Amino acid sequence: MLRKVLVANRGEIALRVLNACRELGIRTVAVYSEADRNSLHVRFADEAICIGPPRASDSYLNVPAVISAAEIADVEAIHPGYGLLSENANFAEVCRASNIKFIGPPPEVTRLMGEKEKARQAMKKAKVPILPGSDGILSTAEEAQKWAEKVGYPVILKAKAGGGGRGMRIVRDSEDLPNLFHAAFTEAANAFGNGELYMEKFIENPRHIEFQMLADEHGNVVSLFERECSIQRRHQKLIEEAPSLQVTPRMREEVGRTLCRCLSEIGYQNAGTVEFLMDANHQLYFIEMNTRIQVEHPVTEAITGVDLVKAQLRIASGDRLDAILPPHLEMRGHAIECRINAEHPQKFTPSAGQITAFNVPGGNGVRVETAQYAEGVIPPYYDSLIAKLITHGMDRAEAIAKMERALSQFIVRGVDTSIPLHQEIFQSEAFRAGEFDTGFMERFLAARAEAEKQPV
Amino acid sequence: MKQQDIEDLRQLIEFLKQHQVAEFDIDRGDLKIRLKFNPQESGPASLSDLARLLRTAPPVSTHAAATGAVSESAAEPAADPEAGLHLVKSPIVGTFFGSPSPGAGAFVSPGDRVEKGQVICIVEAMKLMNEIEADVSGEVVRCLVSNGQAIEFGQPLFAIRLA
Repeated sequence: MLRKVLVANRGEIALRVLNACRELGIRTVAVYSEADRNSLHVRFADEAICIGPPRASDSYLNVPAVISAAEIADVEAIHPGYGLLSENANFAEVCRASNIKFIGPPPEVTRLMGEKEKARQAMKKAKVPILPGSDGILSTAEEAQKWAEKVGYPVILKAKAGGGGRGMRIVRDSEDLPNLFHAAFTEAANAFGNGELYMEKFIENPRHIEFQMLADEHGNVVSLFERECSIQRRHQKLIEEAPSLQVTPRMREEVGRTLCRCLSEIGYQNAGTVEFLMDANHQLYFIEMNTRIQVEHPVTEAITGVDLVKAQLRIASGDRLDAILPPHLEMRGHAIECRINAEHPQKFTPSAGQITAFNVPGGNGVRVETAQYAEGVIPPYYDSLIAKLITHGMDRAEAIAKMERALSQFIVRGVDTSIPLHQEIFQSEAFRAGEFDTGFMERFLAARAEAEKQPV
Repeated sequence: MKQQDIEDLRQLIEFLKQHQVAEFDIDRGDLKIRLKFNPQESGPASLSDLARLLRTAPPVSTHAAATGAVSESAAEPAADPEAGLHLVKSPIVGTFFGSPSPGAGAFVSPGDRVEKGQVICIVEAMKLMNEIEADVSGEVVRCLVSNGQAIEFGQPLFAIRLA
C-alpha cells in the first residue's frame, strides 16, 4: 500500500481523497492556496503546505509548486482529483520524472485521450461505435463542406484540443458552414492555442450516457456500468443517476465488454469514464473519455458497493482488480446525485461569501460530500460546487423520494444555492417519468420563465 | 502553553532526537503537535519552530474560536519578536539554504545591511536553486528558518528593520 499521498486539489474532492487515504492507513499531505487556509481538506490532512496565492493558475495549477511540495513532504504518490491537473499529461510526466507516482493512467494514454480526434480514431479501431464524422482534421472550410455532405446535416465542428463546450459550432445549413468554420477555428485557437477542427454528426437532443471503467496495472479492465447525466445546463452537469433507464442489460454487457477490450489494448490504467451520446433510436456513440475520477462517481459507488477512490489508491499500489473488486459485480437499486452549487437558483450568478447556517441532511441511503461548514467562507476564485447530495433507493422512485426529503432538509444560509432549483426539477413530471435528454434544462427554464410572466 | 508543558515538550524533543526519530505527531483533541526533524540539523528544534507548529492546534483562545476553524493568521500577533519588522516571505515552495553552497559563508547574517534586490538566500525547488532577493533595504535582524528546512509559499524567512 502507498505510504504517503499528496492530494493536488481542493474542496470536496480533496477531502474525499484524504478520507479514502486515511481509511487505508496512508499518510496525507494537502496543498492549499492562501484563500483556502481554513479549508477542511487542510484541517484534516496529516500535513498541509501552502503553495501559492488565491488564483488557481498560481497555486493549484502551478506544477513546480505542487511538485516542490511533494518533494519536501517526501510523498510517494500524487492524487490529482478531477479538473485542475488531473488530465494534464505534462504534469503526469513531471511526476514520473520526479519519481512520484501519478494516480491515474500513464501520460501517453492521457495525451491520447486528450486529443479528441485521436481518441475517436483509437475507439473506432477498437470497434467502439463513434459518431459518423471527418477522418481526421479539416484543413479548410471546403474540406469541411465535403465531409458535411457525406455525413449529412446537422453537423458539429469541434476543436481537436478542446473541452468545456468551447471551439464548437453546430452547422445546420451548408451556406452557414464557412463562417462557422472560421468562428470555431478562431475561438479554439484563442482558448487552447490550437485551432484545428474535426467534424461529427450532430444529434439533436441526445441523452448523455457514460461508462465507469477501472483498470489495474496488470492488464485487467472492468466496467462498473453506466451513469446517465442528461440534466445539464450549458454543458455543466446538474443531476446524474445510475443506472440509466435507457440502457438494456444487453447493451450494458456488450458496451462493457467492448470497452474493456479497448482500454486493455491502449494500456489504460486506473479509473476512467467513457462518455457517449444516445440518439432517439437508443444507439450509443462515443464522444470522449475522461482519464480521471469524475464528480459523479458516488452514484456508481452506491449501486455497486465499490469505493472507487480506494480502488484508485489500491491500483496505484499495484493491487490486482480481482483483489479489489467482488467476484461478481452487480447493480443494486438506483442512485441519484444533485450537484449543489453556490449560485442563484434562477439567475445562476455565482455566490461567494460566508455561510451562516449549514444543516446537512442524513438518513438511510443519503450521502453528502462537502468540504463546507457553518461559518466557512466560499472564496470567489474557484468553481461553485459546494456539495454533492446523493441518494440510493431500491428503485428510482425511492431514490427520488429520498432526494426530495433530503433537499428539503439541506439548509444553507449566507450564500445562494441551487437547492431550490433542484427541488423544482424533482417536481417536474418529465423528470419523474425519466423522460429527458440534454435539452431538458433549456426547456425547463424556458417554461419556468413563461410561467412567471403569466398571472397565476 | 504552561511553562511545565513547554518543559515537557523540550524533553520529548530531546528524547526523539536522541533516538533519531524522523517524524512524530500527537493528537490529543485539545492539542495537536506535528514534529518533523531535519536530517541535516544537529541542533535541537528551535522554540520558534515549536511555536509555529503549535499554532496548528485547535484554537483554545476565544479570539480564534470565533472563527470556528484553524487560523494561522490569527496567531501572527503572538510572534512579538517580529513586531514592527518587515518580513521577507518565500515566493515559492521548497527547501531553504542560507549560503550559496554547502560550507560557504551565509549570504547574510544578523546585523548585516541589505539593499533591495540583494540575494539573501536560496530556496531550492525541483533541483533548481532559486535566488531569493530582499524586497526592502535595511538591517537583517533575524533569520526565521534554518538551513535545509522545508518552506511553504508565503513563509517568513527573514525579519528586516527598515532603514
